[in-house]
Amino acid sequence: MLNLYIKIAIRYLLKNPMYSLINIGGLSTGIAIFILIMAYVKYEKSYDKFEGSSSVYRVYLDYLEGDSFVPGDAMTYNKTGLTLKEIFPEIVEYVRLYYFEKVTFIVGDKIFEQSSGSLADKNFFKIFSIPLVKGDRELALQEPNSIVLNESLAKKLFGDVNPIKKTCEIYQNGKKILVTVTGVMKNIPENSHYKNSFLISFSTQKKWEAFSKNDYELNWNNNNCYTYIKTIPSTNEEVLRNKIIDSDIEKNKEERHNIESIESIHLHSNKPYEVNENGSAKRIKFLTTIAYIIIIISWLNYINLYSTKFLDRGKEVGMRKVVGAVRYQLIIQSLIELMVLNSISIIIGISVAIIFLPLYTSFSGHILYFSFNDVINLLPTFLFLFFGVLFIGLYPAILLSNSSPIITLKKKINASSRKFNIRKILVVFQFIITTSLLIGAIVIHKQMQFMGKQSTGVNLNGVIAVKGEVIGVKNDSLLKRKFNVLKNELVTLPFVSKTAASDTYPGDHQDNLSSNRGIIIPSKKESLKKVFYNYAVDENYFSITGMKFISGKTFNPSVENSNTEVVVNETFLKEMELGNAKDAIGETLKFWNINWTIVGVIEDYNHFGLKKSITPMLIRYKDNSKNLLVQLEAQTEVEFAEVLEKIEKKWSAIFPVSTFNYEFLEKKYQLLYKDDKKFSDAFQIFTLLAILIAAMGLFGLTSYTCFLRKKEIGIRKANGASVYQVVTILNKDFIKWAFLGFIISIPISFYTMNIWLEDFAYRISISSGVIILAGILTLCITIFTVSGQSIQAALNNPTKVLRED
Amino acid sequence: MIQIKNLKKTFRTEEVETLALNNVNLDIKEGEFVAIMGPSGCGKSTLLNIIGMLDNPTEGSYKFGGHEVANLKERQRTHLRKGNLGFVFQSFNLIDELTIFENVELPLIYLNVKKEERRERVKEVLERMNISHREKHFPQQLSGGQQQRVAISRAVVTNPKLILADEPTGNLDSKNGIEVMNLLTELNRDDTTIVMVTHSDRDSHYAHRVINLFDGQIVTESQNKPITASVLS
Repeated sequence: MLNLYIKIAIRYLLKNPMYSLINIGGLSTGIAIFILIMAYVKYEKSYDKFEGSSSVYRVYLDYLEGDSFVPGDAMTYNKTGLTLKEIFPEIVEYVRLYYFEKVTFIVGDKIFEQSSGSLADKNFFKIFSIPLVKGDRELALQEPNSIVLNESLAKKLFGDVNPIKKTCEIYQNGKKILVTVTGVMKNIPENSHYKNSFLISFSTQKKWEAFSKNDYELNWNNNNCYTYIKTIPSTNEEVLRNKIIDSDIEKNKEERHNIESIESIHLHSNKPYEVNENGSAKRIKFLTTIAYIIIIISWLNYINLYSTKFLDRGKEVGMRKVVGAVRYQLIIQSLIELMVLNSISIIIGISVAIIFLPLYTSFSGHILYFSFNDVINLLPTFLFLFFGVLFIGLYPAILLSNSSPIITLKKKINASSRKFNIRKILVVFQFIITTSLLIGAIVIHKQMQFMGKQSTGVNLNGVIAVKGEVIGVKNDSLLKRKFNVLKNELVTLPFVSKTAASDTYPGDHQDNLSSNRGIIIPSKKESLKKVFYNYAVDENYFSITGMKFISGKTFNPSVENSNTEVVVNETFLKEMELGNAKDAIGETLKFWNINWTIVGVIEDYNHFGLKKSITPMLIRYKDNSKNLLVQLEAQTEVEFAEVLEKIEKKWSAIFPVSTFNYEFLEKKYQLLYKDDKKFSDAFQIFTLLAILIAAMGLFGLTSYTCFLRKKEIGIRKANGASVYQVVTILNKDFIKWAFLGFIISIPISFYTMNIWLEDFAYRISISSGVIILAGILTLCITIFTVSGQSIQAALNNPTKVLRED
Repeated sequence: MIQIKNLKKTFRTEEVETLALNNVNLDIKEGEFVAIMGPSGCGKSTLLNIIGMLDNPTEGSYKFGGHEVANLKERQRTHLRKGNLGFVFQSFNLIDELTIFENVELPLIYLNVKKEERRERVKEVLERMNISHREKHFPQQLSGGQQQRVAISRAVVTNPKLILADEPTGNLDSKNGIEVMNLLTELNRDDTTIVMVTHSDRDSHYAHRVINLFDGQIVTESQNKPITASVLS
């Protein structure tokens, strides 16, 4: 009997190729997209899971803002780890990591820059389970001047030679250290929030001129390292957190230490001074929702088409009943057919997902894979939907098997009957989902467009930051002179209009920016314990970045105390209660035990992009900053290539032993939104696919409705109805459903999209225009999908139809 | 075999009540060949459906083989139908997705007959109906006459006591119609009781007895002289 059922199911599919294509095609597309999205979601959720990771936490600082504490800094003090370990017995290990965005390596005649590395305490390998390919885990980071390389870097530096005990020079800000390789570790997995390509023993600090006493002597002054702790496995995170919060280890009421599980950092942490830009749990939730929406739409289609079509099989069901089939046998038959179709679609869906995985990987920027285990993990979802579908899909079978065989045999149950409400509900539900997605896609698109157009208060177009490690020039004043020569020569080049120097710039890694808490304004009684950021630049920085002065002017290097001149932004004035911009000029500020004088106030600008609100910013004067900013006036790619080549030549001529690199500031600034852009692209692609799947279903349903109503159409035409009138009658229902779906989707999408928009400090509001546009699009898609079929039905010769009947 | 007393059948919709059968009394003996005739809408098919236990009467008694079946539930009727009754329809009602063999096999499957035996019985009946060469074909690949032969094969494959035929030649040309009637006569000769609804005077001559219905009531009954199929062909 089972064979027969499967056979009949397959034959039925082959007999109705269009229907089968829509049904299987729609469902398997949905499944493939679902799997691909879930593969990405799984990847994002897989960050920092290693042996023992569940008992590893990062310590961070909360700052008091008003009456409550907010996450203030991902970095902590060099004393944090040790102090915590001494107080809390459940903390078994700690490690401090001092992050290098980039250093320069010299091995023999090889000289190159390497990004992402750290100074690390010797306990590193007791907390992080990264295998050591060569060297001793216990000893590798014990001695000063020791370095552990990852496999790629070891190969890059030493080729196939065993690197253990080999030495190399490392430069950071012109300061050299000689290190010996004591270990080679496996490359840290991509799905780690902190990816080190090398680790230098923490104790090296003392031997390295790049660091001062303040860095290596234990203190509560500078929080510039990341601290990770490992606890005994039975530790309760909440209990430990409360204990640490209450302990007030640094005796400072304005800030406190806090902990977060390392596994939660990637998706849930977005603090100032993160090592890298983290992911977003919200984005993951949105994507997961889309994945489920798409698979639900596909399955709804499937149920809709299957059940509508099944009702046409009255003759078959009736005859089965006549020859002795009982109800449960008919239901089982329907069940098996549903399972066959489901299974075919699942197999095709999984195969398509596997085929598209490499393409998708390049889009998402992560190496995604799909293993047998993932199928197992997705099994509950599939089973839920599978049986959900069976349950709903059985409705027509139950309906048919319930009625008398004579009715099923002779009259056919009318699938378009007004009583058949489940189908209507399913169609309206689909419209709700697709219209909501459409509104979502428009909102996201508009927000991205808005961020592209919104003024950031700076103009970074055509500005490049030239940087490199200069080797062998030990004298600072000589280096400064050489830089001045370079600056003067660069402006003589064609397409170079001006130059400036700065420690950092908008869109740069936050690590290059200092943050301070507390400032003393002698003219006021109390010191203000507010956070502000500061960095150093030269006098030309403001004009090259397009920052505008409200009052005062840029630094004057010729005056004696130019080194204590500062420029602040409007928000700084507001937060520090310094009154209006004019009055602020000449005001004295005190921090780092130095008295600074405000010489200028600039308009607010977005240093961290438009996702974050503007913070108080203070810009100091320094004449030997590490980035040389160059304004290029080139227009074409050829001109850019030409001028960049010339700049490199000039650089090499002045600094023969050095590294050289440059970055376009505008491009780097846009990278602040790269994940949002990717999300926007993904959302739009998935919305398009969801609409396509829904349209396929609608198409199938329309063609079937036309088929069922062909007699009615024939009679109407025989009685004088025009093609237009017939089309209107056929389209009316669908348009009605689309409209209903649209109305219901408005509050849903309004609510969810506002949640998404919360992530942006600068955001659009969802206007009625967006809603109307989505409504018009839904209507157009519906009319377009439905009309082809209904026009064809309306054009049929009525006599033919009536004769057939 | 069949005893029907004061049988009534009414169809109700929300507003209209139609009396399809009104006080029908009818006895059919085993081995009989009965034709039911009458104009369209007189209740012929309704009566046949009730006799075939596809439908229940509204009032009255219907005994099949001595058992009252008038008020059985669908499940019980299905149970009783299985193996005892065979149906032949005007529009053949073959399942398009099944081959000829599978269509004929269907009632045996629902009777839980073992595969081997099913195979033998289907082969045997297809050969008897002279259609075995088309067993792997699908219904649409066959002519109307052939399709009706398949439908008869399906009706007889369980060796039913009673075959109910609803205008079995209605969709056939005269040559194929005669062929079908000959097959039914042969079956009747082998002791299968046949009740047939027909519009055709010629077909009614194959029956032993002709019952004329009008407005849901039996108006006349006439006996035919037994005639052989060959005479009419």
